[in-house]
Amino acid sequence: MAQHSILVVEDEHTLRRLLEYRLSKLYRVRTAANGEEALERVKEELPDLVVSDIMMPRMDGFALQAELQKTRETRAIPFIFLTAKADENSRLKGRRTGVDDYITKPFDIDALLTRIERLLERTAIFQSQLDVKIGQDFSQKLMPKKLPTVEGYSSHFFNNPKEHGGGDLFDWTEAEPGTFYITIGDVMGKGLQAKFYAFSFLGYVRSTLHGTLRETRSPALLMQRVNQVLMDDPTMEETFASLLLARWEPAKNELTYANAGHCRPLIVSPSKAEVVPYSDIILGLDPMAEFTDTTLELAPESAFVAYTDGLLEQEMEGGAQLGEGGLMDIIPGFYREDQPIDRLLEHILEKSTLPEFADDILVFWLARQALRQRQTPRWFSPFGDQADRKA
Amino acid sequence: MNFTVESWNQQTVVVHVGKALDFRNASDFKAACQEQVRAGVRNFVLDFSETGILDSTGLGSIFSLYRQVSPLDGQVVFAAVSRPVQVVVQLTRTYKVFRQFPSLDAAREAVK
Repeated sequence: MAQHSILVVEDEHTLRRLLEYRLSKLYRVRTAANGEEALERVKEELPDLVVSDIMMPRMDGFALQAELQKTRETRAIPFIFLTAKADENSRLKGRRTGVDDYITKPFDIDALLTRIERLLERTAIFQSQLDVKIGQDFSQKLMPKKLPTVEGYSSHFFNNPKEHGGGDLFDWTEAEPGTFYITIGDVMGKGLQAKFYAFSFLGYVRSTLHGTLRETRSPALLMQRVNQVLMDDPTMEETFASLLLARWEPAKNELTYANAGHCRPLIVSPSKAEVVPYSDIILGLDPMAEFTDTTLELAPESAFVAYTDGLLEQEMEGGAQLGEGGLMDIIPGFYREDQPIDRLLEHILEKSTLPEFADDILVFWLARQALRQRQTPRWFSPFGDQADRKA
Repeated sequence: MNFTVESWNQQTVVVHVGKALDFRNASDFKAACQEQVRAGVRNFVLDFSETGILDSTGLGSIFSLYRQVSPLDGQVVFAAVSRPVQVVVQLTRTYKVFRQFPSLDAAREAVK
């Protein structure tokens, strides 16, 4: 881990040098002789903590602290006041302006070191709690609150975002009655940054989808637009993502999808699993990238299963990763389960060398139910069963 | 950090990626490559002969490098691609962007 940086603000030369000498054994230390100089140093680089005298020519310690309170980046920097004035007045004034700690001269350098360490520790804990909280918040926003419900279909979804996991995302929308768009993706990177990019990225995907649907229903064309946004927008320059965009029309039992370098989805039935092979390049790399639509028909009693790479990368007994082939071997066995994803994941963990999944797990399972057994013979039915029969 | 950088000429370096390029060393990799670009290097040959792990963060750092050098007429090519790296390259369809060579010698021939 990088060393913490500390800014020492002290007008008295000898004490300033002494502090610099002692603190630099543990931290990266910069110094300033008064508040104005200190502000310059802060502008050059934000310190992790400030140790400041109170009585100084030009700008005193209180004025410096007040100045740092004014902007968002500097407001949270922990502050320790050093002062020769042991009187209650400055102590009370210090408390009022939100000083983090207060040491009176003459002081014991070890006591100062202890306080610095304690404050840095407290800041680190606060920061990591904040990261977890923001991460969870993003994760929730990247996942659906409910799933599409359509007669003749059942859908399942599982997601287990890790604190230090990546930028998995899933979204669906019923763009017009009976036409659904399903988005599954993975923004590259790890931790909060990936989640943040995934969050912005999903925003782009949603708005591209809504903005473009009047012109086209093609997932491939939508994909092309999203890719262009990633290539053109400088704020998204470091964003690369795999994405699967599918248009699902349950009345026709059809799925039309474009795949930008995402894990290839599977068509699963109780007896076998097949990979849906076609895919194109991942997003954010090639401004001229073109994408192709593939349409498939979902047979009765079969499921479209899409997921992110955390599933395939799980290390299994023998040391190899589960892999696409490994998943295809086992997945049909769970087709008839009420909660197929849960049972599948339990099984994988049983056969894994690890007690839990090492990365984020996201699985979406969309199953077309078996044709219903009819009470009346088919030829007596006056209506047929268009919704169920192959077109 | 287990990659090493070897200079071939003023414009070209080979990066021996080593056993793993993943979330643990991707930012080091990125920083090391950026330093090379600043020093005038335009072509990067990535040697994957020993690489067992390439995760999406690692791949992302390669993509950043590609986006950095391609406007400067630079290139990023892969050499001696191991099986695990091949799987990732296939999955993401990035072979359309990164030329691949069976060996470092073959890459040296092709990258001026």
